[in-house]
Amino acid sequence: MSTGAKKRILREYAECQNDPLPGVKINFDEQNMTKWEILMDGPDQSVYAGGHYKLEINFPNEYPFKPPVVSFKTKIYHPNVSNDDKGSMCLGLLRPEEWKPPNKVISVLHLIRNLLIEPNPDDAIELSIANDYKTNRAEFDKTAKDWVKRYAK
Amino acid sequence: MSSASQPIPPPNDRRGSRSSRSSSNAGFPEPMNSSDIAASESSGFVVGGPPGSPSPLALRASTSPHRRKSRGARIPPDFHLLDYVNTPDSNLICLICHCPFDRPVRLACEHYFCRICLDHAWDAQPEGCKTCPTCRHKVDADEEPLPVPKILERMLDELLVRCPNSKLGCPWVEQRSNLENHVMLYCEYALVECPASDCRLPVSQKDCHKGCLHYSVSCDNCHTSLLRKDLEDHQRATCQFRFAPCPHCSAELLRLDLNAHINDVCPKATVQCPGSIVGCKYSAERETVAEHETACPMATMAPFFRDQQARIERNEARFEPLVRKVGILEDGLSNITNMLYPANANDSSFPVTNPLDSNNPDAFPPAPLMPTPDFRLPPASFPPAPHNNDQSHSQPPFDSQIHHLLTLHDSLRDELSRVASALSELEGRTSMMIMNENQRVKEEMLHTNAAINGMRVQLHWLMSATLHQRTSASASSSATRAGGSASASGSGRSSASGTPTTGGATMRGPAVGMPPLRRLSDSIRQDTKL
Ligand SMILES: [Zn+2]
Ligand SMILES: [Zn+2]
Ligand SMILES: [Zn+2]
Ligand SMILES: [Zn+2]
Ligand SMILES: [Zn+2]
Ligand SMILES: [Zn+2]
Ligand SMILES: [Zn+2]
Repeated sequence: MSTGAKKRILREYAECQNDPLPGVKINFDEQNMTKWEILMDGPDQSVYAGGHYKLEINFPNEYPFKPPVVSFKTKIYHPNVSNDDKGSMCLGLLRPEEWKPPNKVISVLHLIRNLLIEPNPDDAIELSIANDYKTNRAEFDKTAKDWVKRYAK
Repeated sequence: MSSASQPIPPPNDRRGSRSSRSSSNAGFPEPMNSSDIAASESSGFVVGGPPGSPSPLALRASTSPHRRKSRGARIPPDFHLLDYVNTPDSNLICLICHCPFDRPVRLACEHYFCRICLDHAWDAQPEGCKTCPTCRHKVDADEEPLPVPKILERMLDELLVRCPNSKLGCPWVEQRSNLENHVMLYCEYALVECPASDCRLPVSQKDCHKGCLHYSVSCDNCHTSLLRKDLEDHQRATCQFRFAPCPHCSAELLRLDLNAHINDVCPKATVQCPGSIVGCKYSAERETVAEHETACPMATMAPFFRDQQARIERNEARFEPLVRKVGILEDGLSNITNMLYPANANDSSFPVTNPLDSNNPDAFPPAPLMPTPDFRLPPASFPPAPHNNDQSHSQPPFDSQIHHLLTLHDSLRDELSRVASALSELEGRTSMMIMNENQRVKEEMLHTNAAINGMRVQLHWLMSATLHQRTSASASSSATRAGGSASASGSGRSSASGTPTTGGATMRGPAVGMPPLRRLSDSIRQDTKL
């Protein structure tokens, strides 16, 4: 990774610190700045309220020309997060073909937070959960809250 | 320690490049058009290009294997890693690298990027369908990227930055446009390769003249072992015993600065009145001396005396080479004189040796008897100098030395032409003489030839007579051989031994004897032909 890209990541981290998102904490390691550890609280107005989610943002070597890779380390019942040990999230600006170099990590964090508040079933990775979300909202809410208690306390 | 003599670039070298650079940066850069960009893309930037060339980028891209070589291992600064004094305006920030633009370019959709950042973004895109990284607007590769407004470049140039070596101690803070210059030429903290030939470790430019400092020493105060190059920093900042009290005023200060403090600052240290160079004997603590100074007349005069002293020393220093120069010139002049007038080489009174010194009464003695008067100058060119001492200095024997030399030159030229004519005359005479001599020799040779011919005829006659005699003799011997072969052989043997001188010819007989004769006659014929 070029020093220029590292400098940019450093600046982006400083930006996130200056303008913190509510309920989001970033563990940043200067020695390994291409891997951010995010601690995100479930937004109050969402079904994930009360949950504490651990995420990872990995910056590829080609950053900012390739998107960062977001993965949930904590299990979450969400149509846009893969229900496996990767917990990957790939939609919107995180798609390689959608990503633009001017995009910033802070907008990625915003995107994640907004998806927790309002999942996007039309761009889902877990189709059954999306189906649940669209057709049986009560069931979805119940399972989601159940998972929060089980995995995200 | 030989490394200590590593040449430091001469100061005027730097000055020269600074002035040329600043002149090229002076004034407003001209608007850059797209052809400029195209040229810079294809051929690389030209060092010291036109004044309008966008300074930071031209300088940076010109990076110059050549400059790097001559400057050791200086690396041009990366504008993406700079430390800006103030947070730059967000309009000056590249959306890709999040730094103030470096060599910005514009796309038709009015999005701006660093040239490098845009190139990186486009590297990932297939040829022929490049898009704007921000809005994905398709880019016309023939037209774009476009130049940016000049005001943007000037705002970028005016951003205040710290030297990239500020962590090593460089205090430089200036406009970004001057950064390249500073880092490549002036920064004393830039890391260059150690001057020692067997050492590849980096060292600050400012320590370069001290030779290799990559050996361990131990701190005198705390006995920590460390590299020599870090010693000063250690004693200034980290050594636990770095502070010491002044023995005079008991102020706490760095050990390193203690001597300077006592010599220049300490109010309690004993010093002499500054008038001591003129003779004031007063000496006391610095504070007291300061009071004394206001009253001491000698202290007041001291600066003037010091100036005078310095001036005298300067003049003496200047005087020295002049004396040497005069000596050299005098030697040269006397050499020339000796070459011109070898006969006068030992005549110290010859005017040329010191034409200006006409005080010497022996300067122009009456002309001595010279065996070769032709090689003397015409007497008119040496007017006798006035022996009058008052006039001697205002009127040297010649108008000037040049005049004198010209006179010498003319007389030499006359001499030369005289010698040349004498030479040609001599040559004519000599060739005449040779011709005469030749004629005489030829005649003599004819005479000799005739004599030889006469002798040859005589010889021939004698030979034929002898042959005739022999044939008659052999006829008689064959008659006796009929009587007894034994006696004949005995007499033949006796005749052979009895006449050794003619034996060769007689024994071989006429058949064998003929060729030498014929050859002889051949040569005679040739001789007579000549
Ligand atoms: Zn940039
Ligand atoms: Zn655009
Ligand atoms: Zn510097
Ligand atoms: Zn060294
Ligand atoms: Zn020490
Ligand atoms: Zn003191
Ligand atoms: Zn005094």
